[in-house]
Amino acid sequence: MRASKILILTLFVILVFGVTSCAAPEPAKPAATSAPGQPTTAAPKPVTVNNPPKSADEVDAIDLAGKKVSVTYWHQRPQVQHEILQAMLDEFNKTNPYGITAKAEIAGASYNDVFTKVSAAIQASQPPEMSVAYQNQAAFYRSQNGVIDLTPFMKSKKYGLTEADLKDYFQAFLATDDSPQYKGERLGFPTQRSAEVMYYNADWLKKLGYDAPPKDWKTWEEVVCKAADPATKKYGWAFRHDASNFASQVFGRGGTIINADATAYVFNSQAGIDTLAAIQRMFKNKCAVEIPVAERNGEQTRFGNGEVLFVFASSSGMSFYEEAVSKGAKFKWDIALLPYAQKPALNLYGASVSVFKTTPEKELAAWIVIKFLGEKAQTAKWATATGYLPVRASAKDEVVATYKKDPKWGAAADSYAKIFDWGQYAMIEAPVGGYDPVRDIIDKKVMTSVLTDFNIDPKKLLDDAVAEANKILKENTPK
Amino acid sequence: MASRSAELSTMRASRRSSVQLWRRIQEVSLGYLLLAPALILLLVFEVFPIFYGLYISACDWRLSCVQFIGIDNYIRAFTEPDMWRSLLVTATYSAIAVPVQLGLGLLLAYLLFQKIRGQQLFRVLFFMPYITSTVASAAIWSFLYNQDKGLINSILTQFGFPALRWLSEKTGVWQMLVQPLGIELPGWATGPSLAMIALIIYTTWVFVGYDIAIFLAGLGNIPGELYDAAKVDGASGWTLFRNITLPLLSPTTFFLLVLTVIGTFKAFNHIWVMTQGGPVDATTTTSIYIFKQLFQYNRYGYSAALSFILFAVILVLTIAQNRFAGRRVVYD
Repeated sequence: MRASKILILTLFVILVFGVTSCAAPEPAKPAATSAPGQPTTAAPKPVTVNNPPKSADEVDAIDLAGKKVSVTYWHQRPQVQHEILQAMLDEFNKTNPYGITAKAEIAGASYNDVFTKVSAAIQASQPPEMSVAYQNQAAFYRSQNGVIDLTPFMKSKKYGLTEADLKDYFQAFLATDDSPQYKGERLGFPTQRSAEVMYYNADWLKKLGYDAPPKDWKTWEEVVCKAADPATKKYGWAFRHDASNFASQVFGRGGTIINADATAYVFNSQAGIDTLAAIQRMFKNKCAVEIPVAERNGEQTRFGNGEVLFVFASSSGMSFYEEAVSKGAKFKWDIALLPYAQKPALNLYGASVSVFKTTPEKELAAWIVIKFLGEKAQTAKWATATGYLPVRASAKDEVVATYKKDPKWGAAADSYAKIFDWGQYAMIEAPVGGYDPVRDIIDKKVMTSVLTDFNIDPKKLLDDAVAEANKILKENTPK
Repeated sequence: MASRSAELSTMRASRRSSVQLWRRIQEVSLGYLLLAPALILLLVFEVFPIFYGLYISACDWRLSCVQFIGIDNYIRAFTEPDMWRSLLVTATYSAIAVPVQLGLGLLLAYLLFQKIRGQQLFRVLFFMPYITSTVASAAIWSFLYNQDKGLINSILTQFGFPALRWLSEKTGVWQMLVQPLGIELPGWATGPSLAMIALIIYTTWVFVGYDIAIFLAGLGNIPGELYDAAKVDGASGWTLFRNITLPLLSPTTFFLLVLTVIGTFKAFNHIWVMTQGGPVDATTTTSIYIFKQLFQYNRYGYSAALSFILFAVILVLTIAQNRFAGRRVVYD
């Protein structure tokens, strides 16, 4: 009898704990509705703060005093850079007057990993306060009401950016975060940027009889094939599985991925067909080598070992390329704009930071962290440590000077400086929800097909892919 | 007097039966009370997610059920060629991997059951891949399969064979064999892609150790007297294997068959690490297809519906195996 009483008591305790732990999370408390500061003569009109805040006045009305808000920032950078980021955030934690505590967390090894994790977290109603996100990913989160519009925060008199600050930001960088699908909304804010550039082995190029990298596609293909020697496993170009690889070449041939008002994919244009036909030709003639999906950063390693002449990759990888070369074949290398048809083009990418819908206080705290990371000192530090571009014009000289002082960069330091001039040619891929599966189609169904099937028709491939992509676009169009 | 005594005895009997009933109720209640933690866990972590998944599959799901669409996601799946293709890829993967894995497992188990030197060492060696992390071993195999840097191609080229695009070749293996002769096979006759074969080789390497362990246990349960008696009657080698080993091992074989078929239909990790479903769709099994629909296309309701379809396929296959193969199992 006594045993059964103990049993019943134990079960009761388990049930009580089980039920309480399964209980629904506490709903977000409404934010402060009083205006900042103490009333003097007449009481100010109370401002109701929506979640997310809809105007700068609402943002101004949020009071963080004594709330000890903490925010988590999900990103995909490697451990070394994570530590640099956390060190910057530690400084923020010590110095910010609002008592905000910011913590960085590695949420995966790639932007895709972070996207997968964030998507699952949104479904579970447990998103982080902020994370890195491409414009198309942010648009997708927005379709789930996952991320918030940052315009009210940016325009806030109390917490926003000044006119001088805004002017100091590279305008091309800021423009990329204006969503074409959610008109007038800013779904992310840049704290870094990068661009697709052409890495080349300057010594090898010279041996082939060229003083400078080719500027047009025809010459470039000639050089690629001239460099290739499959018997010694040396190739002119390393093909890496990434839709940005295709997009950059389409841009260089005068095309785009999506039309101007982001209502239809158009990568089956002549520029797309020419890009695909060139890849097909280079593989048929064994001029290029495919980097298998499983060989992570294989193009970088092979470049460092002097096995490939050209690689199209992100400028943010410069420090890794430098390391690969110094540990590998130790040759002179540099970066350049990709070849082009009529006018140069630069595929500008690099994710922004998006803020997720949590509570107005946490949203504001996340914005203040973003603002801090965008300050001149921080953006310069981050750019120097990672190879990303700083987001402010005032930081450019400092970053370039640091690169030039460091002998390991050599000629690449000058080229890094040039990327800022190339900013005028900036283009972006497709800042719309659902672009990730389209990227998968471009890589897996389009580009992969021409690597092995030399008889397949590039136009037919692209037409089919665009039809499928437009279906996805329709599915992701805001209703 | 007699009626009074009868009344008393009826009352006693009635009291006894109500006491018994009360005791019975107490016993049953205690039983259910003791079952309660397990039942609650099952309800919360098994039954509820299944029904919730079913609900999601009937919705246009975007963070919540935006619109209840009934069986639309299922209709969409059945009319989607990519879904059928993924099922075909899965069936092909299973149809090759299961017999190869079980056949090789049985053969090796039979060899290891004999009195040979280093028997324990071989058993450990064969079992090790099974206990190794799938993601880590799949990543290493990807390097082994690398077209121009991998060990496998280095060996092949040493012997004068061409280097193969193991994980990125979508061409069927039969077509690859006859290609040098200038023969073009029709689509249906080209065979599974080389990438699929590469995955099957890896799967076999991983799971054969587990099959060996189970087969060895089964072999150990076969009474030695049966072999002795058969030998007295003049049986040996293949006759012993066919007439004694195979029938008496059939419960083990059946168990492994069911398990392996389910495993191959659910296979995901190594395929994702090694090919991500490529080249093109050559290794996009249903699990990979579901994962992509969920995490790349963010079609939550649709991927939930696909999961139920895959579940139904596995269930039907298991029932069919029970019906057809189960009849041939010899239990004593």
